[in-house]
Amino acid sequence: MAENNQKINIVLAGQGNAGKSAVFNYLTGLHQHIGNWAGKTIEKREGTLFYKDHTVDVLDLPGIYSLTTYSEEEQISREYIINQQPDFVINIIDSTNLERNLIFTLQLLELGSPLILALNMVDLAKKKGVEVNVGKFQEKLGVPVISTVASRGLGMTRLMDKVIELNGVGKNNHMVPEYGKEIEGCIAELSGLLRNSEYRYPVRWIAIKLLEKDQEITKLIEKSQPEIIDRSVQLTEYLEDIHGHDSSIVIADERIHLVAHIIRETVKFTPRAILSFNEKLDSLTTHKFTGYLLMTVILGGMFLSVFVLGNWISDWLDGVFSSWHSWWESAVGTTFASLLGWSAIESVLALIQIALPYILPFYIILYILEDWGYISRISFLMDNLMHKMGIHGKGCISFVIGFGCNVPGCLSCRIMESKRERFITAVLVTLVPCSAVSVIIFGLVGKYVGLLWAFGLYVFAMVVIFIAGRLSTKVVGGEPVELIMPMPDYKTPHMRTILVQTWDALKEFIYIAAPIVIVSGVVIQAINLAGWMPAISSVLSPITVNWLGLPAITGILLIFGILRKELILVMLAAFLGTANFGEVLTAQQMLTLSVVSMFYIPCVATISVLWNEYGWKRAMAVCVLEILFAIILGGIVSRLLNFVF
Amino acid sequence: MNSDRGEMSLIEVEDGQTGIIVSVVGGKNLTKRLADLGLVSGTEIKVIRKALFSGPLQVEVSGSRLVLGRGLASKIMVLSNGRK
Repeated sequence: MAENNQKINIVLAGQGNAGKSAVFNYLTGLHQHIGNWAGKTIEKREGTLFYKDHTVDVLDLPGIYSLTTYSEEEQISREYIINQQPDFVINIIDSTNLERNLIFTLQLLELGSPLILALNMVDLAKKKGVEVNVGKFQEKLGVPVISTVASRGLGMTRLMDKVIELNGVGKNNHMVPEYGKEIEGCIAELSGLLRNSEYRYPVRWIAIKLLEKDQEITKLIEKSQPEIIDRSVQLTEYLEDIHGHDSSIVIADERIHLVAHIIRETVKFTPRAILSFNEKLDSLTTHKFTGYLLMTVILGGMFLSVFVLGNWISDWLDGVFSSWHSWWESAVGTTFASLLGWSAIESVLALIQIALPYILPFYIILYILEDWGYISRISFLMDNLMHKMGIHGKGCISFVIGFGCNVPGCLSCRIMESKRERFITAVLVTLVPCSAVSVIIFGLVGKYVGLLWAFGLYVFAMVVIFIAGRLSTKVVGGEPVELIMPMPDYKTPHMRTILVQTWDALKEFIYIAAPIVIVSGVVIQAINLAGWMPAISSVLSPITVNWLGLPAITGILLIFGILRKELILVMLAAFLGTANFGEVLTAQQMLTLSVVSMFYIPCVATISVLWNEYGWKRAMAVCVLEILFAIILGGIVSRLLNFVF
Repeated sequence: MNSDRGEMSLIEVEDGQTGIIVSVVGGKNLTKRLADLGLVSGTEIKVIRKALFSGPLQVEVSGSRLVLGRGLASKIMVLSNGRK
């Protein structure tokens, strides 16, 4: 009999697109906690599963390609596996890409971690004519192998049954990947030298890493046993002499050969002659002409539907919330404290009013596109343009999200590989006109100046982003990381996965944004109630009136706009006493105000993300730069428009 | 078509054609990164298509599809062996 309520720790490891998230979501459902790895802008996803009297803690490691320290993700993963000694490492394998995935599996085997293989997406593999003999496969690798289709939950109970069955049982009789003779000779020699030392890592693994010239491990050993490094340098030179290229490649080569050997013995391929539906769709969506056309239609359709639907829900919520406001005033009164109290409530309502109508539908559509496999096609099509801005194709995704809301846009920059890439992308995203800015553009310019002018502003924004990208590459320096990305096959989107992802993203948005939005809402209201606003607007009037040519009142509006950009429009109506802006503002003023609103500062919610991800110094630097930039640009635009109107 | 069997960079391979990787001209990190994805010398690689305006390449290596940035692809030297 198993003890009641035993604890088991498992981690999910695998390459990107192998279906790790689907497995994670299936196992943990809504019992998830998402945060960052300490000091890193890399997502850490943990969850819990209660299964047959066991509490299983599940950790989802970042999707990675190898366990060499190429990126932070990879480093985190190998450190975690070695230091935390999880009970099981579940290696999720994409059966449609066995070669690439098994190279990673061999590295996990080298680490000596207790492994269980989940051969995922076997249904898609079958369609492609790939059939794995699971019994033979299991025998070859010496670890349990379970076939799964995680998106439909197939094989998940068998996987967990296996975990429980093997828990506490002696489990380390897996295969030790053996490489060519001369390499094994080197490994044996180094292992011999290392035998009596005490490191956290398995001896054989250290030996392999030394031969691969892994920087971290080399540093570690150099500290305590420099003589071993001397020997390993000789050995790598010997290997390089024989093979004619870098020793790390020699070993990578060996892994590939071993994988090919395993696959030859365990997998049956039936070539498919006819062009599958997937391939037809792939060539249509990545085609030089139809690819871009379809992208415009799909993204345009997405924005249009979110915007129309969002406005409709937002209007409806407006009505509901304003009735709450009058109820609050009649019930609590209009004392100083009650007004402050209401502004705190109003900040929360404002968040809901962004999250529900705009971010929620936006995320759902986005995750559908991602799960379907379309997002990678956008990266493919846009890579070249993005490169000119010093980042690569994946950054385009953050821009797309940024049009909905800058907050998730900035958060999504985590998909970029290096810190440099992440920061540049995040800064550029803050310049993307989000749905709140779109409210201003359409409510002012679209309605009173003309739709063409409104679209012109979007084009203008993109030109500004492009130039800012070029400049930031110069300022930040460094070379852009080249795009390396697996191109997934199209597959039917899985609703459950999409809904769980949407819920997580929404939760994160609320957690990060809520505190700062509430505090700054109360502070600004306090300044307002203290009667300092007229003073502020007159202080700002040299900028607003003299330089930008706007009414003095806009100084206050722009301050409130930091909370939520569409407040600029809402409060403009309140202060001017009319919503017919055509009567009180000239076309030139509307365009200038829109341009300034677009760029002058990220909203507080976005600032809080920048702060959270990149530290307060960088967040403040971005704010100051953007304020200066918007003021200068606004004045120039206003003067240029003199020639038009 | 098959007469030209010289060494060339991957970006010179026409859409739909395959080649055998001869070498990767680049730093150790890049070579290692590619090796972890199965791109080592001796591997057959097929160029499926290239994106417009000298964009990235979509390639197929041992049954799996990848997108490689143009700059990166230009560092992969192959021996072209024509349409397969």
